[in-house]
Amino acid sequence: MSTIFECTDLTKKFGSKVAVSAINLKLERGQIVGLLGPNGSGKSTIIKLANELLTPTSGTILIGGKKPGIETKKIVSYLPEKTYLNDWMRVHQIIELFSDFYADFKPEKAYDMLKSLNINANDRLKTMSKGTKEKVQLILVMSREAELYLLDEPIGGVDPAARDYILQTILRNYNENATVIISTHLISDIENILDYVVFINQGQVVMTSSVDDIRDAKGKSVDVLFREVFKC
Amino acid sequence: MLSKLLKYELKATGRVFLPLFLALLIFAGITRVMSAFSPERWNTPANIIMAIYIIIMVGMFIMTFIMMIQRFNKNLLSDEGYLMLTLPAKPWNHIVSKLLVSMLWMVVSGIVALISILIIALEKGDLTKFIVGLGSFYHQAFEQLGASIYLLSFEIIIGILVSLASVILIVYASIAMGHLFNQHKMLASFGAFIVLSTLSKFLFTLISLTPWISNLSNINISSANDFIGVQAVIQLVIAYGIIFTGLLCAAYFAITNFILSKRMNLE
Repeated sequence: MSTIFECTDLTKKFGSKVAVSAINLKLERGQIVGLLGPNGSGKSTIIKLANELLTPTSGTILIGGKKPGIETKKIVSYLPEKTYLNDWMRVHQIIELFSDFYADFKPEKAYDMLKSLNINANDRLKTMSKGTKEKVQLILVMSREAELYLLDEPIGGVDPAARDYILQTILRNYNENATVIISTHLISDIENILDYVVFINQGQVVMTSSVDDIRDAKGKSVDVLFREVFKC
Repeated sequence: MLSKLLKYELKATGRVFLPLFLALLIFAGITRVMSAFSPERWNTPANIIMAIYIIIMVGMFIMTFIMMIQRFNKNLLSDEGYLMLTLPAKPWNHIVSKLLVSMLWMVVSGIVALISILIIALEKGDLTKFIVGLGSFYHQAFEQLGASIYLLSFEIIIGILVSLASVILIVYASIAMGHLFNQHKMLASFGAFIVLSTLSKFLFTLISLTPWISNLSNINISSANDFIGVQAVIQLVIAYGIIFTGLLCAAYFAITNFILSKRMNLE
């Protein structure tokens, strides 16, 4: 196994506020990783740093051995927590945009998923509900055959039925060499699909472990362990 | 990557501008037809049509300005930035694509406005007169200036384009600087604009005071009765203006590019 995601002394400060504090983290290819922590623990900041939307204050972050830049953006498929869809395109137009810019984007996959979620490709993005927009974004992100998927709160805003579909979609669309990093605090919903977990609190890695180890060694579910670690 | 970004920028803006251009030309046409049918000039329907025409014209120019700000601020620095800035493209590609498309719409708006005025005002035979006039002006100018008329017109066109670019880039730099603030980004952008333009004017004055440039104005006075001499000075002054404005453009561009690549912080 080779490393896909590596942070070395990664620090990000906003003014005097430290969002990420000297994190060292190494994640191998071919697994689904849960980036778990309470609100404001630095999950989104790490993911944004990986996407060059933020620049580290110090330390490095490497994706497939490279610093975030054009080459890493080609292999990273990123789902932000925000809705980034513009208000003038139709669904099929944004699919064309993705096909244009990303060599690994598979439009037929996207159209398949739209069909099973009953979203019309001719609908305007503007007229969609927030939940539908999130579904469209997830479809766009998962229709790429990327090496690394960075999903920031992918299930936060959608109903439980769609949640199941989304998780299945993630499972179905990632191949064994790809890595999926999912940041969330809704652990019980995604616990079943995770291979590995990273607990984060106040900008620091509190614990990393494979899910099997948690279950076998400690005899606990990830959800229970999370509630213990982050007990208020 | 730049060509793809240009394509989407044109799509995103063209859907607003093309209908506006069409509307302007249609209302210019209607105004023309109505004035041809009703000789008394100030009847109500004709006035209404004329008023709509003027509103569209004003709206078109305001729109080029709004679009310039909107496409930069909304597409790159608000939520849409999550999509745009994670595309495999360098930040300077984004700036250049938006700059070129903004310039294009400004120039085309000017041309369309001119055409619409011609549609309304042109009398039969005017066009031939205009072309004849232009031809004789060209001959006169060519006699006086010789082949350097091409250089002069080239300089003037470049000068206009560089000035246009500097206006757009100072706005981009101001918006990007405003984005560095956590609160009151709009106000901060406005403040940055005032600081940048004051600084640019100050630099301009400073450079104008340097010996070489002051000498230029002396030549101007001493050879004022010599048309060729004046023309050479004008050319020099324009060239100096282009170089100075070009340097300003480069500085504004560098500020914007630095902030987009190193100081991004999307909400």
